[in-house]
Amino acid sequence: MIKRKFYYALVSIITLTMLTGCWSRTELNELAITVALGIDQSGDQFKVSAQVVNPGEVASQKGGSGNSPVATYTATGETVYEAIRKMTTKVPRKIYGAHLRLLVIGEELASGKGIGKALDLLSRDPELRTDFYIVVAKETTAEQVLKILSIPLERIPANKIFQSLETSEKAWAATAGVTIDELISDLVSKGHQPLLTGIQIFGDPKSGESTESLQRSSTEPVLTFADMAAFKQDKLIGWLNERESKGANYITNKVHSTIVSIPCTRDGMLGIEVVRSKTKVSGSVKNGVPKMNVSVQAEANVGEVECSEVDLSKKDTIAELESKTEEDIKRKIEAAITKAQADFKTDIFGFGEVIHREDPKYWNQYKMKWNEEFVELPVKVDVDIKIRRSGSVGNSFLKSLKE
Amino acid sequence: MIERGKINDNQFRVLVILFIFGPAVLLETSLLAAAAKQDAWISAVVGVGIGLLIVWLYTKIGSKFPERNLFEKLEYVFGKWIGKIVSLLFFFFFFQLAAHILRNIGDFVTVHIMPETPIHFVEIIFLCIVIMGVRLGLEPIARTGEILFPWVIFFFFIMIVSLPPEFKIENIKPVFEGGIKPILKGSTTVIAFPFMESILFLMIYPYVNKIKEANKAFFTGALIGGGVLILISVYTILVLGADFTARNVYPSYALAKKINIADFFQRIEAIVAGMWFISIFYKLTICFYASTVGLAQILNLKEYRSLTLPLGMIMVVLSIIISPSMAEFMSYLPKYEFPFNLTFGLFFPLLFLVVAKIRKKTGKEPMNQTKGDGL
Repeated sequence: MIKRKFYYALVSIITLTMLTGCWSRTELNELAITVALGIDQSGDQFKVSAQVVNPGEVASQKGGSGNSPVATYTATGETVYEAIRKMTTKVPRKIYGAHLRLLVIGEELASGKGIGKALDLLSRDPELRTDFYIVVAKETTAEQVLKILSIPLERIPANKIFQSLETSEKAWAATAGVTIDELISDLVSKGHQPLLTGIQIFGDPKSGESTESLQRSSTEPVLTFADMAAFKQDKLIGWLNERESKGANYITNKVHSTIVSIPCTRDGMLGIEVVRSKTKVSGSVKNGVPKMNVSVQAEANVGEVECSEVDLSKKDTIAELESKTEEDIKRKIEAAITKAQADFKTDIFGFGEVIHREDPKYWNQYKMKWNEEFVELPVKVDVDIKIRRSGSVGNSFLKSLKE
Repeated sequence: MIERGKINDNQFRVLVILFIFGPAVLLETSLLAAAAKQDAWISAVVGVGIGLLIVWLYTKIGSKFPERNLFEKLEYVFGKWIGKIVSLLFFFFFFQLAAHILRNIGDFVTVHIMPETPIHFVEIIFLCIVIMGVRLGLEPIARTGEILFPWVIFFFFIMIVSLPPEFKIENIKPVFEGGIKPILKGSTTVIAFPFMESILFLMIYPYVNKIKEANKAFFTGALIGGGVLILISVYTILVLGADFTARNVYPSYALAKKINIADFFQRIEAIVAGMWFISIFYKLTICFYASTVGLAQILNLKEYRSLTLPLGMIMVVLSIIISPSMAEFMSYLPKYEFPFNLTFGLFFPLLFLVVAKIRKKTGKEPMNQTKGDGL
């Protein structure tokens, strides 16, 4: 019995010493919760900026004390990791990346050194998740983008950018949220080159760095998603403008909903709201010559009518609108393809992957020089639009106004 | 008999499922995708198919001389001295297996959950519970297995149900790109790990109530475990793609990270990891149990419990030195594990059957005679 009691005591003591706490515990007040990271090139080195949440400002019920909800820190290092650790000389806490929403890559880095070297840490570190979006800062540095505070509706700028990217991807279709695992699989794929959304600053960037900018209602400067960055492997090679970006997103089946504006026969425009869109890309190889087929099927509503001559109650009008919309979407898609084939000479649409799936034998022969094949690749575009509804009114009141 | 407990066939089946499930689900898909790319799932199907044949072979051995466990069988068929030498080899096989599993869990925790904690401490704490379980004997191990098994199903179910929205069907194409060779190469890893390792269930065989039921439970358990393995490999390919799966050390953990339903039901991977902790615990416990009982039999000891602590200490050290780095372990798995496991998982079992036939052993003699003195 005594032996038994001794054992019980021993076990309890051992467990007690072990249960007092976690070995690698980190309290919340020791962490600098980072919501956005920016990576720039600075000479041969990386310049990393981190947007860190100021928890007191964000969490307080009474609206805070007017201090900035986030702080942005910058450090330079030989590697990204070194720069992040070096930040501890400026930040009182350790950078914690599990809540990262956004990674901004400076244009200079993207077109100079390439993004590949900067990305490895972000996919390797177990602290980081894979659900943050990656964008490229157009005509500015990532550091500058992260310093802009003047964003209403959301207290944390990075969250706003994240939300805005998701919303615009769903409702506007000229942007695309790309996560790191998608980006890396594009980077290593021979038949699909990366395409990232660009972010741009409009207005004077300096005035956006202070909290005063939070007190104005017109938000200058403003962060906007603009254009999409096309890559050849990990180097930025050029930008698609808004129309071409939309076209590219049609091809990669990333369009959920968007607006197509078509001109009326006399004056004004007509807005068609695409509500559902599905793209099928198929490829075939005949006699050693690859061929692509892009077919878009979409449903749309008439969203806005500025034309006085359009009679929406007639079947023919709808058919005419359908063909005009189809024409417009087709032109966008073709513009994107032309730009990629003629200017960039890089397969940002993943046509190579399609060929890989359809004809692995051909692919294994040509995968090393696919970009050369891609330039010559004939692409047939079919667009089929069905206009179903015209909102809560039939003909526009503008029609009666004219008569 | 060194083990006096008895378990029923259902408990036995649960142990087999947890054993097959174990670290295999966590590590295997990466190896499969590295070998067979997007055909990893076909590789898994082939591997599980052949694996089941091997399990069928083990049930044949299990129902020969059913009242003897593996080491007793070996001594009975090969004679005392050769039997003991072969048993000792098997002991080392089981023991290094246990050390590998311990290292798996240590690596997983230090990579993903507690990066600053030294791996020894994770392993020692984990091993404390394992030693406790093994000291209590087979019956308590099997019963707790039965209690915890529903949790494994629950976590697995969460994963299976919440991932289909993330599927990308095109990830699986083109099918059969590399032909049959890479598929077979991938399937060898499945056959070796975990199916050939399941030979150590022959150590537990005589303690199952009815031998007929044990055969059935062994087979269905392996079938269910193999089914889970196939399902997970299909999921990782569909959700993560072949390339990302092959590059990831723990693809199914990355898979759990992908769970996100309406931006609300997310970041639950640490909870889902519960199923790996439970299943790896059981695989380790069974391996450690088989090693200690086996060693006790080789040394003609009356009971095995006094061996648990020293063997446990050796195992912690062995698990650290067995592979100095993750890279070493990941190159051991696809390259050397298959031929190594082949020796114990196929060569010795076949040899055993052949020798048993030649020496016309019937199993009619009572146990005590073959045991020699002491036991």
